[in-house]
Amino acid sequence: MRDREARELMQLFHAGKISRRDLLARAAALGLSLGVLGGLGVRPAGAAGMTEVKIGVDLPMSGGEAPNGVPTNNGVILAIEEANKAGGMYHFSETLKDDAVNGVHDPAQGAKNVQELIADSAVVGIVGNFNSNVAKACIPITNSAGIVQISPSQTNPDLTKPPAALDLRKANPSKINYFRVCTTDDLQGPVAADYAFRTLKARKLAILDDQETYGKGIADQVEKEFKKLGGQVLSHDGIPKGTQDFHAILTKIKSEGPDAIFFGGVTTTGGGLIRKQMPDVGLKIAYVGGDGIVEDEFLKVAGDSAEGSFGTVAAIDATKVPAAQAFLTAYKARFNDQPGAYSANGYVAAKIILDAVKAAGPDREKVRAWVARLKNYKSMLGTFSFDQNGDTTNRIISVYTVKGGKWTWTDQVNFNG
Amino acid sequence: MARGGAGWLGWILRYRYALLILLLFLAYPLFDHNAGHVNSAADAAVFILLALGLNIVVGFAGLLDLGYAAFFAIGSYAYALAASPFYGLHLPFWPMLLVAAIIAGVFGALLGAPTLRLRGDYLAIVTLGFGEIVPTVFLNLPKYTGGTNGIVGIYQPTLFGYQFGFNPRPYYYTLILVIVLSVIAILRLRDSRLGRAWLAIREDEIAAASMGINLTTTKLLAFSFGAFFSGFAGALYVAKLGIVSPDQFNFTVSFTVLAMVVLGGMGNVFGVIAGAAILYEFQTLFLTDLTQWSHAIGEATRIALLTKLDFVNLKFLLYGLGLILLMLLRPEGLFPARRITAIMKEHQHEALATVEIGEAPVAVPPGEDA
Amino acid sequence: MNGVLFAQQLINGLSLGAIYAVIALGYTMVYGIVELINFAHGDVYTAGSFVALALLTVLGATGHSAAAAVVFALIVVLLATMFIMGTSGVVIERFAYRPLRGRPRLAPLLTAIGVSFSIENLLQLWYGPSPVPFPQLVPNPFFAVGPLSVGQMQLIVILSSLVMMAALHFFVQRTKLGKAMRATAQDWMAAEIMGIDINKTIALTFFIGSLLAGAAGVITGLYYGNVWFINGFRAGLIAFTAAVLGGIGNTTGAALGGFVIGFVEVMTAQYVGFQWAEVTIFSVLILVLVFRPTGILGQQLSERA
Repeated sequence: MRDREARELMQLFHAGKISRRDLLARAAALGLSLGVLGGLGVRPAGAAGMTEVKIGVDLPMSGGEAPNGVPTNNGVILAIEEANKAGGMYHFSETLKDDAVNGVHDPAQGAKNVQELIADSAVVGIVGNFNSNVAKACIPITNSAGIVQISPSQTNPDLTKPPAALDLRKANPSKINYFRVCTTDDLQGPVAADYAFRTLKARKLAILDDQETYGKGIADQVEKEFKKLGGQVLSHDGIPKGTQDFHAILTKIKSEGPDAIFFGGVTTTGGGLIRKQMPDVGLKIAYVGGDGIVEDEFLKVAGDSAEGSFGTVAAIDATKVPAAQAFLTAYKARFNDQPGAYSANGYVAAKIILDAVKAAGPDREKVRAWVARLKNYKSMLGTFSFDQNGDTTNRIISVYTVKGGKWTWTDQVNFNG
Repeated sequence: MARGGAGWLGWILRYRYALLILLLFLAYPLFDHNAGHVNSAADAAVFILLALGLNIVVGFAGLLDLGYAAFFAIGSYAYALAASPFYGLHLPFWPMLLVAAIIAGVFGALLGAPTLRLRGDYLAIVTLGFGEIVPTVFLNLPKYTGGTNGIVGIYQPTLFGYQFGFNPRPYYYTLILVIVLSVIAILRLRDSRLGRAWLAIREDEIAAASMGINLTTTKLLAFSFGAFFSGFAGALYVAKLGIVSPDQFNFTVSFTVLAMVVLGGMGNVFGVIAGAAILYEFQTLFLTDLTQWSHAIGEATRIALLTKLDFVNLKFLLYGLGLILLMLLRPEGLFPARRITAIMKEHQHEALATVEIGEAPVAVPPGEDA
Repeated sequence: MNGVLFAQQLINGLSLGAIYAVIALGYTMVYGIVELINFAHGDVYTAGSFVALALLTVLGATGHSAAAAVVFALIVVLLATMFIMGTSGVVIERFAYRPLRGRPRLAPLLTAIGVSFSIENLLQLWYGPSPVPFPQLVPNPFFAVGPLSVGQMQLIVILSSLVMMAALHFFVQRTKLGKAMRATAQDWMAAEIMGIDINKTIALTFFIGSLLAGAAGVITGLYYGNVWFINGFRAGLIAFTAAVLGGIGNTTGAALGGFVIGFVEVMTAQYVGFQWAEVTIFSVLILVLVFRPTGILGQQLSERA
């Protein structure tokens, strides 16, 4: 392979030392195919001499995971299209990889996908993954390749925080390459517990989770914090995958007499149906969830029962941010649908990489370094920086309530001090 | 063995095509520098090992197993628990590779035991049950298995000081070596007394029993040997990946391995290898990258339609239709075992007087029709 | 143990089990006659929900329509869905299973899963990847029975499945076509010699099995108020387990198996921990089969392995 020569040529070209024509001539002399150069970000028949830059995306896109991946990816698409519309010297495109095999997110598939993305030298950064166990297989790979990876949705603390995270970035411990725009379970969980205890005055809590890393992670945090506050956790059950009928478990919960139910998980893994079936067994207590249910999909699934449900989101009130309103309008116009719970996160994750390319050039290490130094970045999720572990410093958590069939901002907790 | 005198030369001649293909596979990573592709090939090799193991149970002994992922899970967790920060253990990889296989083999016999009296599809559903139970137990006992978070930071193998790390190539070569050794072992097993007993019970349990074959031991050994190879697969798989979690072993994994065996040609060791490789790459590489390829071709040929196609939405459909078409066109699999074709046809048992596999003829009386 | 709570859970188990039972009937009928585990059956059930949803949308029925109109729409939709799903069952049999009749046993098993994947994907393309709300046409008030309460929908689920089981039982035992089905199941070669059209009888079996699944799809659509293209997978797996538990090939056994599994699932939720449901269901199955290798009501199978 002539990767090195090609890359050197490209560097000369990007540094402005040789013209496009020179580049092509030299490439031909070296016997480099146009494909190789194309892979390095040159488009010989290019649209007005723009450099082709790719954003890699790894999300679960097929089967039962599609409701997670598709709306998130739509956010990425929107960011890329806006960047292209804004013009500039780069033309951005997306290389999308599906990490679901037979409809289930698969760490092995994720690992292969990011390796393929890394092998394509036009890819300057990766948005993804969605599920924490996929990330655990991917972070070591992206870390040793030194390519930036920004997750829209992963909230498991172990992915970034020492000591557990040190295992994931053994190759380049000092070069943080994995970042996330959402905050971690250990912040979001306590807020939900706190809100249930102090504001809803719940003293007895029943907890359900979907047994996924996210759902169980946040549910465990809620349990811990609720007990710390002096509350009583009556039960904590996991939901078998694919369950549709929750009457039995809700009957049991009703018999325990809790003041509120906390659900850890997303709409499709039970968040919607549990809420929907609560009235069927005569349960008229508060229902609290994490950001996985704060989406329009939840309102559709839970129907009229959704009214009065609570959900926490690690972002500032979207209605107070003009960017968020613009995003909402643009999303509806482009996809003819409401955004999912992580669409905005997908947009912001991609936007950071796009901005990094514009500021630092289409070079993986430059992009990574730019992102690592990110300070006071203004986005629709709020203004934030990345800390020394790659976590967002955005520690504002909003509480939303379903009022009149809409998720409505009601309160916020600020951990920034 | 009957043909001990033939010697190495005869052996090489006999398996010349297999050896040629092996050489091609050994050379493959030298030509493909895309780590993702090599990794995919290594994972295909993992599934080849699984298919080889399941082929013993389904192809040789005729026991329909719909829960083979259970043993894959057991082998994977055996290594993960023994070499990760989870218990703070760091047992060396190479002996653990064998230990994981032995543990899986023991569980093969244990979980096989309740199925001994069952026939046909009753057996299938019980194995399916175990296939659901095992990952659920791993999921529900977080104190002992890491639960849904799984086990992270699994130690990677080293060989004479060489760190395998996240480079797929050393795993790929190790897997090829393990496959070669497994194939040799499996071919010898097939031609052994035990192997012939498996074929006999596959054809007709009652006849086999009346000829003095101990059904209990023969079946348990089939489950055990079958599971044994999934232990190799599991240990190598999680060592390469660095993480194991219960959702990697759901029913679709069991089904996929079964499809590989049937697609390749039940009972035919080399057919099964081909079936596994083809199906795996079809699912994880072809279907995943189809959209990109279509876009690339579309851009090169300026056919706008190709650049707009999105196959991610169609993965299941393409996979499903592929399965249906292949089975309709080749119901015995791509490379049917020589005599399986006749054996496997229902209502044609009478046609069969002897089963001939390898060079070991086994007399089997005409089967009883239903 | 709290008796009232137990009884309340029993009601939950009955309604859940009734759904499993109706789906299990299709599995068991098909297995009885062609010895095929029809893995696509669960997806036929889900497809039934979607077909009903589409028909209801066409008819424009909503929860606010007049009661008589709703009842009329529901009957039309139920019958139409049953017919459509029955027909699609026949089509699936004709193209994916019949060409493989008499071929290796595992070939149709793989095509069945192929059909299952295809149906799921088609439903996803049709209504999108997310769960879709199903119109709430039937109000769900509670009836107090002593200290217990029963939802109207639960009653409808239980009663309608009992009606379907009874109708099927009558059909199989009392009609000429049912007799042909039983004869074919017992020995199709002999049946053929006796002048029974095997292809027609097998097609009829698929028609009835799929029609029942379609009906179950309509009822659960109303009951859960949601349909998702992926639902058929677990429902199918559990219903199949129910069919085997009851003794596969035996329609009474399938119904019984459905109720037993519904019971095990709700009691696990109440007394063990919901996350263990899969483990208890399959453990009960394995235990039963260890002691009764052909299921609760299964007859000794023939020697066909």
